Amino acid sequence: MRSFVKHLPHFLSLFGILFAGFAGLILFSYDKNFQLSIAVAAAAAYVAWGVVHHILHKDFHFEIFLEYLAVAILGLTIIFSLIIRS
Amino acid sequence: MSALKLLVHLFIPHESNNQKARILHPISLGLIAMFLIGFQLILSLGYASFPKVLGYAANIAPLEVIRLTNVQREANGLSPLTENTILDSAAIAKGNDMIAKGYWAHFAPDGTSPWSFFLSFGYKYQYAGENLARDFSDAASAVNAWMASPTHKENILNPHYKEVGIGVVEGSLAGADTTIIVQFFGTALSGAPSIPLAEAKEIAPSPAPVLTVATSSPIPQTEVVPSISKSVSSPFAFTKNLSLGIVGLLLLVLSIDLIVVRRRRIARIGGRTLAHIAYLGMILAVILILKAGQII
Repeated sequence: MRSFVKHLPHFLSLFGILFAGFAGLILFSYDKNFQLSIAVAAAAAYVAWGVVHHILHKDFHFEIFLEYLAVAILGLTIIFSLIIRS
Repeated sequence: MSALKLLVHLFIPHESNNQKARILHPISLGLIAMFLIGFQLILSLGYASFPKVLGYAANIAPLEVIRLTNVQREANGLSPLTENTILDSAAIAKGNDMIAKGYWAHFAPDGTSPWSFFLSFGYKYQYAGENLARDFSDAASAVNAWMASPTHKENILNPHYKEVGIGVVEGSLAGADTTIIVQFFGTALSGAPSIPLAEAKEIAPSPAPVLTVATSSPIPQTEVVPSISKSVSSPFAFTKNLSLGIVGLLLLVLSIDLIVVRRRRIARIGGRTLAHIAYLGMILAVILILKAGQII
């Protein structure tokens, strides 16, 4: 919990990014191409957040970048599959 | 390695997995993503190869589409639309035309306009409009999707329209079983002040239609969906359930990871587990909210 409070400003920005992505996917449900663009933007912003966050905390390693990238790619794969199938 | 050790290795931080559940390692996550892509390919091949076995049908009642449309109009202070059987027939013909010619658009590849279906069935209009939907499992989802789109909503809430016709047609588009809903709006010219046909108004969500002379062409008949429920086991439902399972499992493992790492005070190089939980939580919310169906 202490770690979370310490990183609160960073996490608030992450929650803002993710909420904006979620809201965009819902609001533009009638435009699939725009939905796909929003999903890519949210995933890229998530990876960028991870890199910036760890650089600021001076604990950035390439493995960490790969970890964020893998999670983002998995999320994108799921969203793309669903949007294309919907 | 015993089954218990394997489970620990896969799902709980331990010495064997370098203090991070194996399933959370980037390579494992990449493999899961590749599995999902492979699953989609197999699903597409399966539906293309065995459409009779894996095909699905929706439960769309034309009268329910009209009722829900009128609920929206009345909620916005507009008079309800009256069902016109000629428009119903024209809408069904439009749906059949899309199936027969394999297109999903307001205008056919050969240039046939939506308005030609009005005229070929003898419906001379003062105003005409068209909304299209496909792959929805019920009428409410389709009407809700139209209402969420400004251009389709404009059609539904257009005060110029007096009548409506619905065509619900089932068939195969681009190799995939689908259910198309065609919603034709109109105001007949006969009951209106004398306005030349050339000045008649047509409204389709996009692109702006151009008036052309009606052309009648023989349209092969395909099955028209009755208002009776059939099985719903669409590729979308398969994808949604599999995605829910994977994201749910990962969120569970991440939550365990968060607790175990904190309790054991494990120091390791890695991303923020809470950030991963937040991102996958958003993905979970999207999975739960996304619904099948397209509108144009």
